[in-house]
Amino acid sequence: MVSAVVAVTLRELLRRRRALVLVVALPLAFYLARIDTTGQAIRFLALGVGWAVATLSLFTHVSSRDLDQRLAIVGASPSALVAGRQLALTATGLGLAGAYFALVALTQDVTHLWTVALLLGTSVLIAAPLGAAVSLLVPRELEGALALLSIMALQMLADPDGTGAKFLPLWSTREFTTYAVDPSGGADLTQGLLHFAAVAALAAVITWIAGVLRLRPRRLPVPSTR
Amino acid sequence: MTPAEEWSRRLDRSLIELGVEPAEARRLTEDSHEEARGAGADPSELYGPAAAYAVRLAQAVRTPQPRLSTMPAGEVVLRLSGVSKRYGRHTVFDNVSLTLRAGEVAAVVGANGCGKSTLLKICCGTTAPSGGVVERTARIGYAPQQGGVSGFLTPAEHFRLFGAVHGMGRRKAVSTGNQLCRRLGWRPRSGLSAARLSGGTQQKLNVVLSELNSPDLILLDEPYQGFDQDSYLDFWDQVLKWRDAGAGVLVVTHLLQDLERVDHLVELHRSEDQ
Amino acid sequence: MSVNLRQQWLHGFLDVCLLCLLAERRDYGLGLTQRLVAAGFDEIPGGTLYPSLVRLEKQGLVETDWVPSATGPRRKYYDLTAAGHEAVADRIGSWHQFRDSVESLTVQAQRARAERLG
Repeated sequence: MVSAVVAVTLRELLRRRRALVLVVALPLAFYLARIDTTGQAIRFLALGVGWAVATLSLFTHVSSRDLDQRLAIVGASPSALVAGRQLALTATGLGLAGAYFALVALTQDVTHLWTVALLLGTSVLIAAPLGAAVSLLVPRELEGALALLSIMALQMLADPDGTGAKFLPLWSTREFTTYAVDPSGGADLTQGLLHFAAVAALAAVITWIAGVLRLRPRRLPVPSTR
Repeated sequence: MTPAEEWSRRLDRSLIELGVEPAEARRLTEDSHEEARGAGADPSELYGPAAAYAVRLAQAVRTPQPRLSTMPAGEVVLRLSGVSKRYGRHTVFDNVSLTLRAGEVAAVVGANGCGKSTLLKICCGTTAPSGGVVERTARIGYAPQQGGVSGFLTPAEHFRLFGAVHGMGRRKAVSTGNQLCRRLGWRPRSGLSAARLSGGTQQKLNVVLSELNSPDLILLDEPYQGFDQDSYLDFWDQVLKWRDAGAGVLVVTHLLQDLERVDHLVELHRSEDQ
Repeated sequence: MSVNLRQQWLHGFLDVCLLCLLAERRDYGLGLTQRLVAAGFDEIPGGTLYPSLVRLEKQGLVETDWVPSATGPRRKYYDLTAAGHEAVADRIGSWHQFRDSVESLTVQAQRARAERLG
């Protein structure tokens, strides 16, 4: 069942050509805008990947809402539906992250290159459930896209050292970026990892619980024989 | 091309469009042509216009519905006892009762806004009733009014997905789906995603998906909107076939024709605010 | 009696009539049409007759055979299968029941009418 949902979601994503082009182009635009400073370029690339994947996740979940509801009514497991959609989105996101990792490896001189992979990967792992969680709270794609825009704008504008920034989902990217570019910059990799793990787990749990609550039909008793 | 050949060509094409297997369409066309020659008549004279004749022939060769339900006839598949729905102080409907058995059709009728779709959602289990008891068999099929198909997926991909839910093999799901489509006079072309099908054809896909698992109870929310006249008749034909095949069918409709054929009528009235 | 009503009725009973004609002897399409007319029905259009024959063939009650003709093009002959012969017996029984039901109602109605008038 999960694999069927994964296959279907991947097909749907591949056929949303225009959305896919935007998803690929957005991080590139962010990256090119800051290409002159390595650290900023990488951080903005990660935010761009995160935003793109979150938006793709939002659109996927909003547009598949009715179909998933229908499948759940006739007996599909809500957990399998949520998991299948999420796996497909995460895989797509990781593919995108992989491509951009190659771009960074080719065009930038980075001390800890593997941290860039970590950074892009964690952005995807946070963004996919984040977009799903947002989709559960909003009725339509437009509201969700605006909500994600607000989150991402805050993420870019907030002072990373302020306490408020720690409440934003992609705070960990800055720690990873600093570590990747300048290991002596006082970045705390462990703290970044802990923050990532906490945010990813929270977003995944919210997505799963809210998804299951929304999709699971009420259990109706079987009629007595006559 | 002689008029007789032209007529045959049109018959062949119409039959295929109506979901008849191409080999069978060719055989029927050749037979009709030969038969007219044997009778010494022009085919359009003997059989009438090719398109109209194709509709009758296609109905004649359509394979009979296999038995759907595993339930013994007369078993209760849905029971509503005093079901009501209120939003705040507004009563949508009150005290709706129905006992639907395997091999029966019930129609839910009423004007727009009187809660027909809400009642169906209560039967699906996606909306909670404010009062009353709903009992329902577990193996159901469901066709919503809209949003029940994905515009990005082809019919075959839909069959595989729904087949996976029902634990059917991929191949079995696709062949069953295609067979059910032909019964509604439609032959899915591979590679064409649902968004590129006409509105009526999308609804046929919607209906076929609801019966892929040979359910004991089929719930339908005006799924024939966008059907042309012939398909609309075929739809009711299909509803009666489901019934004869032993399934219980609940259809939400705002059309009052064809209701003499149903076993139960649930009439919802727009209630005043209280 | 209106032609329309007669046609509607024949429509409902066409399968039985065709099975009965074929039980007597095998025949081709035009022959069946002529025999229906001889039995007192209106001429049945080919657009109605042939789909009925196709349906009976699909149901396995009728089989077909192309027979070359000395005078013109070959003809398609229809004949009952074993299942077809069984179906004829079955449907004749059903028809008698049905006819008796309609008959009893019409007789009652006629009697009531006669009493009211008389």
